[in-house]
Amino acid sequence: MRSYPVGVRLGISDGGIAVTGKTPNSHRLQSGLLAITLVVIWEGACRLFEVSALVLPVPSAIGARLVTLFGSGTIWPHLWATLVEIIAGFVFGVIAGLVIGAMISLIPVLERLVYPYLVALQTLPKVAIAPLFIIWFGYGLTSKVVITALVCFFPVLVSVIAGFHSTDRDQLDMMKAFGATNWQTLIRLRIPAALVLIFAGLEIAAVLAVIGAIVGEFVGAQVGLGYLIVTLNFGLDVPGVFAVLIVLSANRIGDARVNARGGTSLHFLDPAQ
Amino acid sequence: MREDDPVAHSGRARAGFLGTVHCGGELVTEPRPDAGVVFQQALLLPWDTVLTNVMLPAHLKKDRSAATVKRAEHLLAFMGLKDFAQKYPFELSGGMQQRVSICRALMRDPKVLLMDEPFGALDAMTREAMNMELMRVWSEERKTVIFITHSIPEAVLLGDRVVVMSPRPGRISEIVNIDLGRPRSLQSMASARFGELCDHIRSVFGSESPMVASL
Repeated sequence: MRSYPVGVRLGISDGGIAVTGKTPNSHRLQSGLLAITLVVIWEGACRLFEVSALVLPVPSAIGARLVTLFGSGTIWPHLWATLVEIIAGFVFGVIAGLVIGAMISLIPVLERLVYPYLVALQTLPKVAIAPLFIIWFGYGLTSKVVITALVCFFPVLVSVIAGFHSTDRDQLDMMKAFGATNWQTLIRLRIPAALVLIFAGLEIAAVLAVIGAIVGEFVGAQVGLGYLIVTLNFGLDVPGVFAVLIVLSANRIGDARVNARGGTSLHFLDPAQ
Repeated sequence: MREDDPVAHSGRARAGFLGTVHCGGELVTEPRPDAGVVFQQALLLPWDTVLTNVMLPAHLKKDRSAATVKRAEHLLAFMGLKDFAQKYPFELSGGMQQRVSICRALMRDPKVLLMDEPFGALDAMTREAMNMELMRVWSEERKTVIFITHSIPEAVLLGDRVVVMSPRPGRISEIVNIDLGRPRSLQSMASARFGELCDHIRSVFGSESPMVASL
């Protein structure tokens, strides 16, 4: 988890993606070559030492499973279900975080009353209460959306509160000196100033959303990539598990790139500059 | 141009530092529309362009007319920032940001300009340049300027009247009339009269502030 000192510059550190959002071609080439080398070593070493396919499958077997999963169309309902859970959970969690965070920040009474309970709730590992959600909301997508939303809620809530707290006192004085109403100060100063930290919270929420959905599926599901992993694992189809993991990772890197672009355009909004 | 200080600006007492404070005069208890304020930091909104920042006082009064835009552009050109209207504050140097802040303060053509150590955060040479710039601005748009500073030479260079305030509690120690002719330049700082005035003001402090007296 990151910490948010006031006025932090939004740093993009996800998977070595360059701040401009574009990786120079030479870097791409080098990364690609490295990846190929690693895969070759993997394949060679596993064959050489006759590593069991149940422990560490060879890349060629994984590749083959990937092909069959996509070719037979098996993967699509699962991929789709998980994506829906992630996106829906993210949206609901973020909206709740934004609204409740804004309310808490702008109404001091509310903050004093509610925040301690929220902190207490936050310390509870959401994934530990996932089984409870399965009982409450069933084996369908709903339970996973709820878990994901809950998991996304807290980082966004905290970052909204931190964002509103980070408003520069002198800037507030300046707005008052020019006769701004409370509403004008909110719209023109407090919200833009909070955006830097809020986007940082959104980044974290995006990462956690995937975890929330997958773990929810581990606990109880009938469809989804997490469900697929558990099922394939049960059937000792380890190459299949790896194949699904690759699909999952591809999804995550896509997420990170989106966040990187959203984040960099905001870096100059940092009032600390 | 008077060198004064609103003692109770926005409810806060401005006097009470150890060191040189030149203040006095008008009591301001709340933000007045006919007073423009320039702070020690430029305090521009980083997510708005320079032009939008300058127009902030007008926007806050719901005035987005073309005439307002023209005035903002005119002010920027006047301060030598014509080409920077669409830039963002982080692209400007400290001195330039402070100039934008002055434009903003002048936006609604206030009768009084309140400047709270506006050049304190700038390097010495930029500071001198800004002093000259301020006098140029004042020669065109005559306003009452209340300028708070810790620098005795700056007060004597800029002011018609320097009001010296004592440290806690902030009380007016003395009001010194600056009888140097206008227009003034940095050369004025070399004149004997300039030195006498600075010396006189310094001596007022000497009797009040133990720190300065020991120098």
